[in-house]
Amino acid sequence: MIYDINLKITYAYDVPVSGGRHMVRVLPLSQPGRQRLVAGSVSCVPTPQERHESTDFFRNAATSIVFRTAHDRLMIRMQARVTVDPVPITADFSPKLADLAPALATVWTLDPDSPHHFMGVSPRLPEVATIAAYARTAVCDGMTVNEIARALCTRIHKDFTYDPKATTVDTTPAAAFKLKRGVCQDFAHVMIVALRSLGIPAGYVSGFLRTIPPPGKERLEGADAMHAWVRYWAGPITGWVELDPTNDIPAGTDHIVVGHGRDYADVAPVIGILKSYGGQTTEQAVDVVPVLPA
Amino acid sequence: MVKSAAEPQLKAQAQAKAKARTDLVSGYAALPGSADEMLDKSGAVRPVWQHLLAAIGRMDETDLVNRFARADRYLRDAGVFYRAYGSKENTERNWPLSHIPVLIDEKEWQVVSEGLVQRAELLEKVVADIYGEGRLVREGFLPPALVGSNPEFLRPLVGVKPADGHFLQFCSFEIGRGPDGNWWVLSDRTEAPSGAGFALENRVATTRAFSDVYAETHVHRLASFFGAFRDTLQAGKRHPEDRIAVLSPGVANETYFEHAYIARYLGFMLLEGEDLTVVGDRVMVRTVAGLKPVGVLWRRLDAAFADPLELNQNSHIGTPGLVEALRAGSVSIVNALGSGILQTRAFLAFLPRISRHLTGEDLRLPSIATWWCGQAAEQAHVAANIEKMVIGPAYSVRPFFDDNEQSVLGSTLRDNAKTSIGEWLKTDGAKLVGQEAVTLSTTPAFVNGKLTPRPMSLRVFAARTLDGWQIMPGGFARIGSGDDVAAIAMQAGGSAADVWIVSDKPVARTSLLPAEESFTRNMPGSLPSRAADNLFWLGRYIERAEGALRILRAWHGRYAEAANPDMPLLKDVTEYLAALDIDTKQPVPSSLLANISSALFSASNIRDRFSPDGWLALNDLAKTARKFHATVQAGDDATHAMTILLRKLAGFAGLVHENMYRFTGWRFLSIGRYLERGLHMTRLLGHMTGPNTPDGAYDMLLEIGDSVMTHRRRYNVATASLTVTDLLALDPLNPRSILYQLNEIKTEVELLPNAFTNGQMSSFYREAMRLHAGLAVMTPDGMTPAVYRRFEQDLEHLSDVLAQTYLS
Repeated sequence: MIYDINLKITYAYDVPVSGGRHMVRVLPLSQPGRQRLVAGSVSCVPTPQERHESTDFFRNAATSIVFRTAHDRLMIRMQARVTVDPVPITADFSPKLADLAPALATVWTLDPDSPHHFMGVSPRLPEVATIAAYARTAVCDGMTVNEIARALCTRIHKDFTYDPKATTVDTTPAAAFKLKRGVCQDFAHVMIVALRSLGIPAGYVSGFLRTIPPPGKERLEGADAMHAWVRYWAGPITGWVELDPTNDIPAGTDHIVVGHGRDYADVAPVIGILKSYGGQTTEQAVDVVPVLPA
Repeated sequence: MVKSAAEPQLKAQAQAKAKARTDLVSGYAALPGSADEMLDKSGAVRPVWQHLLAAIGRMDETDLVNRFARADRYLRDAGVFYRAYGSKENTERNWPLSHIPVLIDEKEWQVVSEGLVQRAELLEKVVADIYGEGRLVREGFLPPALVGSNPEFLRPLVGVKPADGHFLQFCSFEIGRGPDGNWWVLSDRTEAPSGAGFALENRVATTRAFSDVYAETHVHRLASFFGAFRDTLQAGKRHPEDRIAVLSPGVANETYFEHAYIARYLGFMLLEGEDLTVVGDRVMVRTVAGLKPVGVLWRRLDAAFADPLELNQNSHIGTPGLVEALRAGSVSIVNALGSGILQTRAFLAFLPRISRHLTGEDLRLPSIATWWCGQAAEQAHVAANIEKMVIGPAYSVRPFFDDNEQSVLGSTLRDNAKTSIGEWLKTDGAKLVGQEAVTLSTTPAFVNGKLTPRPMSLRVFAARTLDGWQIMPGGFARIGSGDDVAAIAMQAGGSAADVWIVSDKPVARTSLLPAEESFTRNMPGSLPSRAADNLFWLGRYIERAEGALRILRAWHGRYAEAANPDMPLLKDVTEYLAALDIDTKQPVPSSLLANISSALFSASNIRDRFSPDGWLALNDLAKTARKFHATVQAGDDATHAMTILLRKLAGFAGLVHENMYRFTGWRFLSIGRYLERGLHMTRLLGHMTGPNTPDGAYDMLLEIGDSVMTHRRRYNVATASLTVTDLLALDPLNPRSILYQLNEIKTEVELLPNAFTNGQMSSFYREAMRLHAGLAVMTPDGMTPAVYRRFEQDLEHLSDVLAQTYLS
């Protein structure tokens, strides 16, 4: 599939801010066998006094922008064309849960895709006993890692209600789990904590969903803003697998990846440090349109 | 005749004295099963201790106690404190000095030093690999999980090469002596090692107690160690105009005193994250003279908090963009961000093999035996030997005797958790380490009038210098509070002692101060804007408190004598004060306390610029005000209380006035005071010289303005609106008049940085001139309430302009 993606994030400040520094991660990445960024750009209004492009540890594209003059609005805009490859369907080569730890012990690397980055606690995701107990109930003897992950994904989708009003960007996984409500970020965080509690390496994927579903399909939740889902490590043969617990589906050609991280903190679209004395309101507008081959 | 009568008495005294002497040292013996610093294996006094011990033997208890008191007085006067967490309030504690130093032969120290230099070099190689090529993990020398799941592994720093080529420049090591007499490394500190400043203060204090013994003993000096490190940091600058600064997490930190002390001792700026900003790829400090480049930061801040944009996003004490500046290689941070990963306790298990692999050598000073339970064989070993183990968190960066009791001794666990140990290790193994439960040596401490053996470990400091790693000859000893020599017993806290490295030959005497013939007069560096802001507000709060105290004193004096508590003057002033949030129903109002607390808070942020005397005076004022708030009654009692508080406040102001160096910092403090005093008088005159002034208001004004006598001398008439206005608003010679304040502000403003730029006045200068001229041309009859109101607004505006020009 080929998509044209438009993203507009606007901040309106109650009191003009005198300056600020932001880290922006909104540009889709190129990942061989998964997707390719054909062209893409990030722009800002007002024009920042400084701008630096970099690639972060997890190979996500990051743009830092610096403002030194007062402004009361900030708009960040991303435009991109991306081709997404279908995920080939294969048999389940993932190990049984008991065999995962020995398999992990054979991986002696700390490359960005190494599962060892995705095992312990991370900035937003401490261990949560209630989620660990919940995860254990989804496991039966002899299940493979893929089976466990699919089971957890389905359970979370079933037990949780999609509710944008219930949580905020700062809600902890423990709180979201207690509410059994939230948005894609909460679904993903709870599932990652659950997987890690079982010893399965799991990370956070930020990205986009196609806005208008193909004919005859239902519109997916989370398409009107940036989306998030989960990837887990299913052993050395299978590697990383992406699941979307908000919609209970594997991430496929409708999912466009922007960033990989341990949790939201690693791939937050905009991290901003401002000198500000008032509140702010944020809006996000996303458009993901398939480009039909001529 | 007289002589013979006194003789028996003297004899008895001499006998008592002799007995006291023997009591001090007699009965001292090493504890069974552990080595002792003073006594060798055979129980004989080690040669380096003999001189000190003989000297102590000649002292009686009174003499010794007096000597200790001298040391304690030094620490108190110098304001040495550390902050203790845990109790309800974070309280400042006096530094707990154990007065008897620990003496170590320089030949033995040489061995320790060589071992630690080797270790520092190895640690540098390890951290450079973790943030560089990653070969130790790839080649199987370091389990990837220990890095990948490690909270100290800072991914944004991977691939960032330190600007000066080194990750580590300053480390400390905790070492202890085992029962066999050999030294062990208990832990490495690479993140932001503290204690070097306290080691210096221990030394000064201890030499106060034993100045004679110290002079007669060949003790290696500490100054050259600091001097060499200072030179290294100086050499790390790439531009001559670059500043070097100590980066502190701020006053709330437990060792803030030390940050200020070290900065002052080495002549570096003391900064916090908020003082810095990143422009382009350069780190700049905000000063009252504009942005100035910073080339080297010796950080005492945990790395994760250094940059909220790329590291811990919840940090309020960092500098956004700092990591980007590091990537650009424009600034050196000592130690490099991320170096803290080396402190991970489980790393101790892998260092011996890594040492052989990377250097072909064994560690000369072994670490305490450590097993990471994330591996099956190690797990089994720990479970089988649980009696001899301390079990603790694998990723902890604190040594087990210092980790808030997260570590437990296996032998104490066994009774109630016998069966669960194996299970615990199996489920949580990767998060646990077992460490050999080592015992420490003992050293004499003075307890209950006797030298008593107490367990001790040493904190030793290593600095990278232009000639390679140097080990501080000394350091400080942690002295246990009980006689339990198990290292883990150090969790209970204790005291600190100086460490003397003793030579049998005379040692070089160095000082960080250059010899007198070569002196230069250095002007103080640029004042950071945050420090200027705190000084300015300290001035304002102090003056605000004084203004309130003066009005309240006059009010209570009249209230005590008034037949009618509702008399118009009292009611009028009550209303005036209410508008300032001061409630006359409270004899010592809580808003006054809040004011003094604000002054104290401002002062606490700039303690490095204060004499300890000034700080104590301000604290004393706050304490007395709090006490009065609870006890004082309205009327005479309150009048008296206000007088006491005013006197204490004048004491603080006097100390500052007499002792503070007349430079930029002083000017901001002064401008704060003048501005607030001007505001106080403007507001008060505007309220009390209007058409409906109650009876007695003019006399009260003169009393508040401390001008009763002057008025009598100068005008020779009864108080009236015009003469009071003349004296309190327009008299340029009355130090409480409004015009006087503007005169003084004008004088200070001219001397501030950037008062003129390209021949043009700064906006603050212009505004101060305008206000001054506006008032100087006024006559008393022109001073209407409306004029005062406008002046009040203008003065507030002047404060804002000052903030915009210098403080942001």
